[in-house]
Amino acid sequence: MLVTLAIAKGRLQTEALELCERAGIAVSKDHLESRRLMIEDESGRYSFLFVKPSDVPIYVEYGVADAGICGRDVLIETAADVHEPLDLGFGRCKLVVAGKPESAERGYNPLVTARVATKYPRTSTDYFQRRGVPIELIVLSGSVELAPVLGLSDHIVDLVETGRTLRENGLVVVDTISESTARLIVNRASYHLKRARIAELIESLRKAL
Amino acid sequence: MSSSLSKIPPGVQYIFDSEVRVRRHIEREVMTVLDGWSYSEIILPVFDYADLFVLGMGKEQAEMTYRFTGRDGSLLALRPEMTSLVARTVATRFRGDPRPIRLSYSGEVFRWDEPRGGRQYEFHQIGFEHIGSDRLEADTEALVIATEILRRLGVEGFTITLGHVDFFKGIAERLDLDQDGSREMRNIVDRKDAAGLDVFLSGRADETTRAALCKLVTLAGGREILREARSLVENQRSAAALDDLENVYRIAEEIGIDEHIDLDLGDVAALDYYTGLTFKIYSSGLGAALGRGGRYDQLLAKFGNSEPAVGFSLCLDWLAQLLSNRLADRLAARDYEAVRLTDGSDIVRTFKEAALLRSQGRKVEIAR
Repeated sequence: MLVTLAIAKGRLQTEALELCERAGIAVSKDHLESRRLMIEDESGRYSFLFVKPSDVPIYVEYGVADAGICGRDVLIETAADVHEPLDLGFGRCKLVVAGKPESAERGYNPLVTARVATKYPRTSTDYFQRRGVPIELIVLSGSVELAPVLGLSDHIVDLVETGRTLRENGLVVVDTISESTARLIVNRASYHLKRARIAELIESLRKAL
Repeated sequence: MSSSLSKIPPGVQYIFDSEVRVRRHIEREVMTVLDGWSYSEIILPVFDYADLFVLGMGKEQAEMTYRFTGRDGSLLALRPEMTSLVARTVATRFRGDPRPIRLSYSGEVFRWDEPRGGRQYEFHQIGFEHIGSDRLEADTEALVIATEILRRLGVEGFTITLGHVDFFKGIAERLDLDQDGSREMRNIVDRKDAAGLDVFLSGRADETTRAALCKLVTLAGGREILREARSLVENQRSAAALDDLENVYRIAEEIGIDEHIDLDLGDVAALDYYTGLTFKIYSSGLGAALGRGGRYDQLLAKFGNSEPAVGFSLCLDWLAQLLSNRLADRLAARDYEAVRLTDGSDIVRTFKEAALLRSQGRKVEIAR
């Protein structure tokens, strides 16, 4: 029985694969260097899919992948209906509201609509609405930090690891929405249908943490 | 054509050809099994008062209904589920009838729920309700019927997960959580997020309880997990839940359906609705549950006649998706006898010939 793992490409990929290797799920270098998007591990018991971070929960929710590794930020944003049995601890970062220093001092005036540029529309809307602040969303797919600099928006909601990008663009953190780390997620059906294999995966990853 | 004529609204379906034959076949097979267990079919209205569903499903769930006003100004809703309609009927029209009452249904339900994971706004539920018995027999009957249906349909490698809401409630009620707190904890448990639960419980529970709970949310498997669970909980409510599970599992073993059963002590979905055993059906090839059910002993009281009940429903859309490849061929629209109507031929003679074939029970297609 093959267990399929969806791995978020980019930021988390290297650490995710290192963790898998420590847990005894190794992928050969040749395979990794190839441009194939789907490869098997050396034991032939696991298959890896490399997909965009925000797509990991989708593959897992539909059951195309039995399990996956992605950031908690993505899980919250997609609101995927999956199990989340393990906090993997790496890829630590924060989802924050940021803006120019003067807007940070002012805070956001709850009577005025906040213009927010972000890649996280659901999380942003939820955050501002809970505080009674009307929000105008500007959904971007990259270089979000530019928006307040150019006056496109008052604030941004984005992921911050070291804070360097914010600093270099003259922005400051207004508030932290949530902390995020990499998570192991598991499809609800696979959790039962492949219970022994999934339990083994969770256990070996936990030991390798 | 204007765009509103060529465009279809998101979440609705037009179904034709082999897929219709597959769905009708599945529906017939399921209803035949239910009839075989003495369930009598009830045909329910497509809409009813919106309040009925608020009462039946709870306010939060009922917000997903399509609502509209009737001619007298009353608020109506397309049915988002069947059980509330059945429960109200049983509590009123069937109040004086001998118990238990066994009813089956089949039809579309409508929910405004973001279409994702393959869900649509409209889907077809087939299910049954067993009302008036709080006995183990009724729970077992539901489980046995579900197994027979899936075996008869040839669903391969299915698993029925078995949980019990009192197991979790017995633990949670000792924590003294407010409504938001219990909801948050339930979400964490539902995701089997042991790390998150540990954080949530810090300051809310002592070390022993915390460790036990974090272990419990991930307990799933065969009979052996019941022993493990017993060693971790002390309260009576949870222990009674484990007794129920043990009893049902033992019967399942005796009648040879335990290979399909997986115990799941962390199943806390629909905790407000269910009151005892809960079931979910999973099958390889589908990422979501294709059926679910459980005991709901408090629903009937809301309609004025307190009595126990257990029910189960299957999603026809999921079943069709799972079985369509295999069934479509078998159910292909072959064996038509084309009665040809050639130029200048006699229409009367053609239809006489066709009628003769029809009277012999054969299929005809009038061709040009």
